[in-house]
Amino acid sequence: MKKNLFRIILTVVFIAAAILYLYPTYQDQQISKELHGLTGQDSLDYVTKNADKIKKSRDGRIKLGLDLKGGVYVVLDVDVVKLLQDISKKKDDPTLNQILTDLRSVPETSDEPILNLLKARLKEKGLTLKSFYGEIRDDENDVEKKLSTEIDNAIDRAVEIVRNRVDQYGVAEPQIQKIGGKRIVVELPGVSNPDEVRKLLQGTALLQFQMLKDPETAVKVMQNINNVLVGKGVTDSTKTTAELKKDSLKKNTESLTSKDTSLKESSGKKDLKKDTTKTKKDADKKSSDTTKKKDSDKKKDTLSNIDTGSASDTSAANLSEEEFKQKFPFFYLVRLNEQSGTADGYVRESDKEKVDLILKREDVKAVIPTDVMFAWSQRSFETGGERIYTLYCLKKDAELTGKVIEDAKSNIDPQNNTPIVTMSMSTEGSADWARITGANINKRCAIVLDGVVYSAPVIRSKITGGNSQIEGMGSIQEAKLLEIVLKAGALPAPLKIAEERTVGPSLGEDSINKGITSSFVALVLVALFMIVYYRVGGGIADLALVINVLFVMGIMASFKATLTMPGIAGLVLTLGMAVDTNVLIFERIREELGSGKPLRTAVDIGYKKAFSAIIDSHITSVITGIILYQFGSGPIQGFALTLLFGIGANLFTAIVITHFIFDIMLEKGRHISIG
Amino acid sequence: MRLFKHSNIDFLGHRRKFYLVSIIAIVIGMAVLFTRGIPLGIDFQGGTEIQIKFQSPIDVSELRNSMDKAGFVGMEIKSMGSAADYLLRTPLQGEGQTVADKIQAGIKENIPDKTYQVLQVNKVGPKIGAELRRNAIYAVVFSLLGILIYLALRFQFVYALGAVIGLFHDVLITVSAVAIFDAVFPMLQLEFNQQMLAAFLTLIGFSVNDTVIIFDRIRENIKLFKNEDIEDVMNKSVNATLSRTIITSGTVFLTVLVLFLFGGEVLRAFAFAFAVGVVTGTYSSVFVSSSIVVDWRHHVLGDKHKGKIAVNTTKS
Repeated sequence: MKKNLFRIILTVVFIAAAILYLYPTYQDQQISKELHGLTGQDSLDYVTKNADKIKKSRDGRIKLGLDLKGGVYVVLDVDVVKLLQDISKKKDDPTLNQILTDLRSVPETSDEPILNLLKARLKEKGLTLKSFYGEIRDDENDVEKKLSTEIDNAIDRAVEIVRNRVDQYGVAEPQIQKIGGKRIVVELPGVSNPDEVRKLLQGTALLQFQMLKDPETAVKVMQNINNVLVGKGVTDSTKTTAELKKDSLKKNTESLTSKDTSLKESSGKKDLKKDTTKTKKDADKKSSDTTKKKDSDKKKDTLSNIDTGSASDTSAANLSEEEFKQKFPFFYLVRLNEQSGTADGYVRESDKEKVDLILKREDVKAVIPTDVMFAWSQRSFETGGERIYTLYCLKKDAELTGKVIEDAKSNIDPQNNTPIVTMSMSTEGSADWARITGANINKRCAIVLDGVVYSAPVIRSKITGGNSQIEGMGSIQEAKLLEIVLKAGALPAPLKIAEERTVGPSLGEDSINKGITSSFVALVLVALFMIVYYRVGGGIADLALVINVLFVMGIMASFKATLTMPGIAGLVLTLGMAVDTNVLIFERIREELGSGKPLRTAVDIGYKKAFSAIIDSHITSVITGIILYQFGSGPIQGFALTLLFGIGANLFTAIVITHFIFDIMLEKGRHISIG
Repeated sequence: MRLFKHSNIDFLGHRRKFYLVSIIAIVIGMAVLFTRGIPLGIDFQGGTEIQIKFQSPIDVSELRNSMDKAGFVGMEIKSMGSAADYLLRTPLQGEGQTVADKIQAGIKENIPDKTYQVLQVNKVGPKIGAELRRNAIYAVVFSLLGILIYLALRFQFVYALGAVIGLFHDVLITVSAVAIFDAVFPMLQLEFNQQMLAAFLTLIGFSVNDTVIIFDRIRENIKLFKNEDIEDVMNKSVNATLSRTIITSGTVFLTVLVLFLFGGEVLRAFAFAFAVGVVTGTYSSVFVSSSIVVDWRHHVLGDKHKGKIAVNTTKS
């Protein structure tokens, strides 16, 4: 009995866990059902009211693969030949161009790296790599190594650019993966226009340097937006505006700090300067100092806020959270930080979409001056369990594009061991850069790739000669990312679409229905057979089948796995195998019964003797499942995964669950008919 | 209810006949494969394909004409079950999806009065196609190898070999069956694609189950009947497990049959390969694998001690 107790507890725990993991999937379905019945304003209200619930259920639900949902699947290859052409020092050399043109068709059929092929072809003609990609004095091997890193970097750049664009495109649950170090797989569920996707993924990346609007103007623009939201006219008296500004800023800082105990990251501004005069350490110290001070200030403020919350003071600082939301809906979403002296707006990840929608409204657009634009930060920091993004207010016209960048390099500053990025510009660019930096000392310049701000350092001094240094990065990874981004302007990563699949939503729907119906029919048939053939035993096995399905789905949900059409087939097959295990045991029990043993003994021996066969047959299936996962792609991996989960669940249900049910029934003196 | 009661069939005594059946099946299959080739789907072949559904039925010849006019002479056009569903395929790829766009433009221009819906567009570059093809072969080879190694550890090398030869036999026959059925019933859309590969690997994992269970019983029976002839022990074991073998294969066959009939076109090829595989897998487990163990010992290892074939019993 003790043994059974343990088994029962284990089973109950697993079933509970499976239900827990599957609950979001169920909830998600309920929500979409409810949403289906609502239209217009009602559905909008529903979404706003249940935002948290919707997000939670969406994050936890079992995701459907592209073949079930419809969407676009694209495999991108970096066009190495084009890259080699672009970075050659003698772009117009006819021999090189001839070789590269010849090589163009090669990657379609050969696995040999292009670089090796190029080297071999050049050698045939008595030429070397360094004559096209290096200096005469360079070592040939070094040049080759450099080129090979360059090619690797191109892929990193491409991944970053693709990720950035897909994020902006606003597809739900996109997947971007680097495969085998040379390929990018992009999955965009629910998208049905491959043309748009192609443009999105293949266009040349645009890197720009844009000045930030000065804080006063930026805040004023935001106030106007706020006024539109609360239904006030834009031309409020200046006095009110000024008051509002003061008040809202105050309130904003408060609420931000009350959630945020460390403002260090957000206020740790980056410096852009010619040479290192001020060390990062100092800056850090300073900012952490201010943070401390702010924190203590805040505590006082918040306290007084609670005390006088209901007082009839009109000052925003004394408004409750709810009132503040009512009066300053825009600043409720976009928090400013007074002490930072900037107009960077901090927005919770969950509010990003709302802010985007607001900024797209026609009446809001009307109050944003034509030379101003808003842009999101690429980076986010976490505070109070929420990711916070920064909203920048930029001058629309770019000062300079990334084309002038010749090189960028992330490094560790030997003086103070902090990560830095250095970049150099072409002669032409340097002259412009000197003028721009000279005119904007102590102002901030944003580095914007495809409309997303990667960094917004302060210009410390006039930079002549084009060699600039950016510091203040939190980590070397961050510096590396900035390097990649800066290079994207210098060396665009040419991408080729190697594979593209579009599944129309109607095919997905159709295949879901057919797949699920047929799986269900198959299951019912098998279950019926088991009951007819093995009677009570069969009934127990069927119960195990149901638990098995629950387990497999639960494991899939917990692994955040994706359900594909082959995955459904995998599930059905697993059930076939689950039946197999039970049949094996039952036949064994029958044999033992046939040799005259009592039921109790027959059951025990049956389970015992069947065990080694069960283990062996499951392990061989595991072997093929793992290999399938290794060598398959996309939906096939989904299949392999369900199969593997199924095998695990099956072992448990067949060996543990049915066994203790048998045991308990036998202990209670029931006779179990196994046909 | 019992379907099989204490069968006592001399499987191993008739093994020559079963070998012959297998060899004939494989020879026919190979002949078809070599003359017709393996019907490769877009995954392994590369190219562009587009699946469309017209609002109302349309004649294939009309569609073909429109494609000829659009510059796609000799375009592969397959009907997908009804006269309104078609799959158009060409080895051309072009940059992006331009080929698919051109195909659509061709339809719109030449058959303007029919509206249609695009169900699916696939474009696979030749390099990816070649890679997937290679991976498919690796996957099958590595699975067989993995099983060979595992069974060699659990039983004895001869047994592992018998099982893997049986599996290889299943793969060959199933491949042939796919090729033959594709030739005879083109509307079934049986092609080698990624899903078919999944079917093959699952099949390998599943088909070896029957064999393993028989071997497991042989291992057990050898301990029980130490002085009996190995052929008798094997026959006993195959007979004792026969009912289980047929029932489980039957239920799985039933399952994939339902998938094949009602699962829709996405699962059809998968279900077909698996259904054939279940049948040949059962056949090879019962008739081929054990026989190979016996013959291998007799002829290759020269083992004359009929009754004393040890199976690795320490690990059971």
